[in-house]
Amino acid sequence: MLKDITLGQYFPGDTVAHKLDPRTKILLVVLYIIALFCAKSFLTYGIMALCLAVCVRISRVRVKAMVRGLRPVLFIILFTAVLNLFFTPGERTLVQLGILRVSNTGLRTAFFMVLRIMLLIMGTFLMTYTTSPISLTDGLERLLGWLKRFRVPVHELAMMMSIALRFIPTLIEETDKIMSAQKARGADLESGNLIQKAKAMVPILVPLFISAFRRADELATAMECRCYHGGEGRTKLHVLRYERRDGIALTAGCLVCVGVIVLGRFGL
Amino acid sequence: MATILETKDLTFAYPAEEGEETTFALQGVDLTIEKGSFVVVLGHNGSGKSTLAKTFNAVLLPSGGKVYVAGMDTRDEALLLAIRQRVGMVFQNPDNQIVANVVEEDVAFAPENLGVPSEEIRRRVDDALRAVGMYDFVTHAPHLLSGGQKQRVAIAGVIAMEPECIVLDEATAMLDPIGRQEVLSTIHRLNREKGITVVLITHHMNEAEEADRVLVMDDGRLVMDGPPREIFSRVEALRSMGLTVPDTVDLLDRLRKDGWDLPLTALTVEECAGAIAACRPVSGAPRPGGTAPRREELSSSPILEIRHLTHTYGVGTPFQRSAVKDVSFTVREGEFLGIIGHTGSGKSTLIQHLNGLLRPSGGEILLGGRDIWAEPKKIRSVRFRVGLVFQYPEYQLFEETVYKDIAFGPANMGKTGDELDRCVREAARLVGIRDEQLEKSPFELSGGQKRRVALAGVLAMDPEVLILDEPTAGLDPAGRENLMANIRDYHRNRRRTIILVSHSMDEIAQNVDRIVVLKSSHVLMSGTPAQVFARGGELIEAGLDVPQVTRVAMALAERGMAIDPAVYTVEALERSLLTVGKGGAAC
Repeated sequence: MLKDITLGQYFPGDTVAHKLDPRTKILLVVLYIIALFCAKSFLTYGIMALCLAVCVRISRVRVKAMVRGLRPVLFIILFTAVLNLFFTPGERTLVQLGILRVSNTGLRTAFFMVLRIMLLIMGTFLMTYTTSPISLTDGLERLLGWLKRFRVPVHELAMMMSIALRFIPTLIEETDKIMSAQKARGADLESGNLIQKAKAMVPILVPLFISAFRRADELATAMECRCYHGGEGRTKLHVLRYERRDGIALTAGCLVCVGVIVLGRFGL
Repeated sequence: MATILETKDLTFAYPAEEGEETTFALQGVDLTIEKGSFVVVLGHNGSGKSTLAKTFNAVLLPSGGKVYVAGMDTRDEALLLAIRQRVGMVFQNPDNQIVANVVEEDVAFAPENLGVPSEEIRRRVDDALRAVGMYDFVTHAPHLLSGGQKQRVAIAGVIAMEPECIVLDEATAMLDPIGRQEVLSTIHRLNREKGITVVLITHHMNEAEEADRVLVMDDGRLVMDGPPREIFSRVEALRSMGLTVPDTVDLLDRLRKDGWDLPLTALTVEECAGAIAACRPVSGAPRPGGTAPRREELSSSPILEIRHLTHTYGVGTPFQRSAVKDVSFTVREGEFLGIIGHTGSGKSTLIQHLNGLLRPSGGEILLGGRDIWAEPKKIRSVRFRVGLVFQYPEYQLFEETVYKDIAFGPANMGKTGDELDRCVREAARLVGIRDEQLEKSPFELSGGQKRRVALAGVLAMDPEVLILDEPTAGLDPAGRENLMANIRDYHRNRRRTIILVSHSMDEIAQNVDRIVVLKSSHVLMSGTPAQVFARGGELIEAGLDVPQVTRVAMALAERGMAIDPAVYTVEALERSLLTVGKGGAAC
């Protein structure tokens, strides 16, 4: 049952969006977020939505998949909407329900907030949909390389992240196995109240932790045997290189971002 | 010839805990390994062979004495990378040595660490993957590969360092016969074609057949050293160290004791059959088979009936596939049934239906005549009646003491007090766990003992049917034999039904009354061992193995000897040869 969870929301493909350097995509997302927070009007939000639509089109990610990405945050979206709708003070009251009142500003703010969250999430998801986790960590490591000067262990963090990604499917499979084994010994994982359910997890978590530690130990030895000695002097099979398309994409991103900020200045 | 590895009076001791005496894992090992040789290291668990391997590339440093790799002292820290680059290691668990989540990235890991330029890494990765026959999987995710494929990726990861020597530390122990064969033929090819020195540590005696040299370790000492034929002819000495000999040698040894003049050095099936045929020329009247004591099908009432069972994973997705297709068979009360098939043949899916862990997509399972899913809410009670011991069951232990862990199952059944205590002690006794061990933490025990505790945890529920999935996987020969002896005793004394799932034909042949052979999700054949092995050719065609003894019998029958080719135990073949021999001239 755990196998059904799709992790690392990556949809392999061969479009320009997939081929872009991961660093470019990370930077584009940053620019996109900045622009999104500077957008204040129908015009600027419209531009942002259009940009996203164009990117989705280029990446050939199905719209259904984009919408599905919103599902886990549905509650937050609704919560924000309700909060903004009822509790924003404004000059004109549109609807009055007891103590709850909806003002014209409230309606406007609620609409923009919901739009902003949705665009934000879909934008970042588009990046993870088109970038494999490994190149994403690679891109992050290179982008944050300058932090090494301040003794931030950037390489180690990136290595940890990629090993974690590598072991997620293995550990899920293992959890599945241990659950089946304990169920075969009559463990009852489904019924009971919250405390009983938490207690029932002990026979699963203890073996899982022990096995994770054993794996970590063995993996460390195996890595040492393959001459791993930290990030110093390490080379890469795939060296990240900015191409012409990265330049074009970044220029376009910057233009949109600056454009939205300037429009905001003019109150548009 | 040049030397690649050399040890001089090597001793090693693991750091002792307070109040404990230091035990030496290695004591005075003197050894030189020549470049380009293929060396197999044998020894029971705890004999020091894995420790020895880990000193070869400075993962462990000697407590006393020296280890030299191509003349370099492993204690010299400045040479660490140079040493590790020359001696690559492959470990037992394929999952725990793959670092990246793309095959090529993983193979590139070592050269990346060594600072090799990118274009050169690309070339090495491609070469290494071609050398192990995994080039088609360059961009695959490792967790989707089979065990044998993962180990080949791990070997490629080592070859990418361009080492002079590869050490495989029980690298075949967790693989099924096909995976094992894949790995073995890969390393033999690397040894032959690239001249890479191979040191193979293993529990499987057959893997030593084609080695140049066999080393036997016992209690931290190197006790035997020589070519395989010479080593295996020392049958008694090997047995006294908890090791076995290949069935071919066992047979020759028995026949010699019967007064036949045979060499003990005919190691392979062909050689063995050749030697026997040469000694016993074709005898007079061919007799129909039947010298083997045939285990008859039981006529007791059925306890488990599997009717047209089908299980489909991922219904409605592009990954939809049937793991079990229209499987029907009956298990009788008190029967010892064997289920055999490859990894992926549907064995695991099948057995998880028998205790209601999985719900059939089609068909039904009857336990004592009743559909187990008649009342889905009561499915837990089925699990107490059909006990299932998973593969590597020691990984499910979790309690503070052995006693509490064994008590988990019966306590879930609602047993308390004296009754619970009786169940736990009885189960512990059945698997040979001593009383004083019951209060220990299960994690202090050795691998073999942990497995016994896990087995006791299921036996304590006193199930009517006991299902064992690869119970001896990864154990050494003595451990395998002891555990199977426990299980046979349990079957004999309790008359309970046992289903043994295995991919070892030898293990199945030696224990069960009846065999069900699964192949790609359906039943290929079923019957008594004699009936199944009589179709040995079909089994081999299906990519399954037959016991080594059966292959000898088949080879003898081909040579025109009046031997039933369906013989499946060494004793039975010995008996038939003796009977056949009476008719012929003495040699």
